[in-house]
Amino acid sequence: MELQSGKLVRVIRAIDAISDWSGRIFAWLIIPLIIVMTWEICVRYLAHPTQWAYDLSYMLYGALFMLGAAYTLYRGAHIRTDFLYQKWPVKVQAMVDATCYLLLFFPGIVIFLWIGSEFAWNSYVRSERSVGSSWMPVIYPLKAVLPIATAMLLLQGIAEFLKCIHALRTGSWLGEHKSMEEIISEDLVSEVPPPKGPGS
Amino acid sequence: MSPEAIGGWMLVALLATIFAGFPIAFTLIILGIVFGYMGFGDTVFHLMVFQFFATMKEQTLAQVPLFVFMGLLLERAGLMERLFYVTQMILARVHGSLYLSAMFVATLFGAASGIVGASVTLLGIMAAKAMDKSRYDVRMSAGIITAGGTLGILIPPSVMLVVMGPVVGIPVTDLYAGALMPGLMLAGLYATYALVRCYLKPSLGPALHEDQHAESKTLLFVEFLKGMVPITVLLMASLGTILTGVATPTEGAALGAVGAFILTVVYRKMTRALLNHAVVKTLEVSCMILFLVAASNFFGGVFSRLGTPEVVSQALLSLELPKMMILAIIMIVIFLLAWPLEWVPIVLIFVPIVLPMVRQLGFDITWFAILVAINLQTAWLSPPVALSAYFLKGVAPQWQLSDIYKGMMQFMVLQIIGLALVMAFPQIALWLPGVLYTK
Repeated sequence: MELQSGKLVRVIRAIDAISDWSGRIFAWLIIPLIIVMTWEICVRYLAHPTQWAYDLSYMLYGALFMLGAAYTLYRGAHIRTDFLYQKWPVKVQAMVDATCYLLLFFPGIVIFLWIGSEFAWNSYVRSERSVGSSWMPVIYPLKAVLPIATAMLLLQGIAEFLKCIHALRTGSWLGEHKSMEEIISEDLVSEVPPPKGPGS
Repeated sequence: MSPEAIGGWMLVALLATIFAGFPIAFTLIILGIVFGYMGFGDTVFHLMVFQFFATMKEQTLAQVPLFVFMGLLLERAGLMERLFYVTQMILARVHGSLYLSAMFVATLFGAASGIVGASVTLLGIMAAKAMDKSRYDVRMSAGIITAGGTLGILIPPSVMLVVMGPVVGIPVTDLYAGALMPGLMLAGLYATYALVRCYLKPSLGPALHEDQHAESKTLLFVEFLKGMVPITVLLMASLGTILTGVATPTEGAALGAVGAFILTVVYRKMTRALLNHAVVKTLEVSCMILFLVAASNFFGGVFSRLGTPEVVSQALLSLELPKMMILAIIMIVIFLLAWPLEWVPIVLIFVPIVLPMVRQLGFDITWFAILVAINLQTAWLSPPVALSAYFLKGVAPQWQLSDIYKGMMQFMVLQIIGLALVMAFPQIALWLPGVLYTK
């Protein structure tokens, strides 16, 4: 039992580390997004608009938020309605979460991964191009973001499910859940104690 | 079962599962798949990838990460502290001067940043100590800080309006122009209320102590300019270029992000750690909003394809209630929903349900969207669920939570008055878009 529990934690930590790193890498997509948009407006007034800025901007933004989904799940930051949830004992929370992962999360995300892969593969085979602009870039790399993002999401979902099992066994959480506003302001106040949530 | 009934059950299933505390986006995906499959078979799978991909290609939503990034940098640039300090010196002799300067800084910050959460914390750190030192009334202080801090969600640019644009089918520029006057009106309402109360009862906000008065007026003026010039330039670069049409909203947001970056460097606050923090936090905040936007677009796509919103709107319209009464009921429901829910699911799930009805009643959609925005800001001030109270308590632990609540509630009443004013006089919201973009 002890050994099993140690293994469980090791698996969780490994997946967490993958998602953590994925987030820290993909987050930098914001910088080229800023540069592309700023470049576009500068050259539009100085010379003539670029053909590629518009396409690149939605590609960077679309990839940014989809590829960040697994990281956000790892951080416990996907928006949830927790005013009832946070009053429950840990084991009830874990039980409800585990059920939700099995009934809601895994079926949906597995189907998503399947359909998304087909979607991207079809685009690749036909070397489909975007028709929204005169640049007409190939679109499969952006479509491939869907299966990649859902695969990472699925992996982190497994870790979250294992965290529920761990919580059911030990009665305490490995990670924590936060609301949007807590996340925005949590690091702002390093010199004062963090704001307490309504339930604590 | 008819498609419309399937849609009805889909909504019931959503309500039942939403309170289990599971991330809403994943619940929406599976419910969309299951009920969509029941309603129209295989097509639902294509609808799913199509809606997600369409959200990824919705370029105006790129404003969300850009404005979040801008806000996160501005919080740390130290710009607001400077302005607060200077305005408080200028107004030192006025009763309630700290209320005024806090409100002034909050309004500017609201216009310079698109996110709300941190403003309350930031204002609390800045103002709470100064207010205590000058023996200001705790309730009024807490009210001004929470009300001012949450104005950012209304005053453009605002991430909430960016998300609302595609939902109601109105260009985000119209929403920005529409929200500007109501936002400033509310700021004015808050400030006036504080000043009038201080005038009637000076002990609520005494004049500042001698050592907080400025030594030289010229020096003060120079300091004020030093604080105002950068923020004005930043506002012109982001909101200014967007409203005048010089830049698209997304480009304006990028210019704002560049401006915030430059300011942070100029004020010598930029470090590797801060950049890292801002970049990673931007991903997290953007993703929590945008992934839910994508999932809601799928859910909403299934829902409207099943035809349920039309049936709901027909049923409610057949009651033949007065137009304004229906609008008032919608507003009350949103107000109540904002109690347990964050603004994102309300904007993404509830608003599309009532939108066909609002259209049929012939209401101006821009006006309606602004009313929803003001209404949702009110939720930030309604105890006991409003998180702003806990943020303030976190940085001003010497204040009683019950006092903070009582302060917030005064301003919640002002907020409702503001909402009623915009309902009674649509021109408050529609005048500026009308002038800027004559249709």
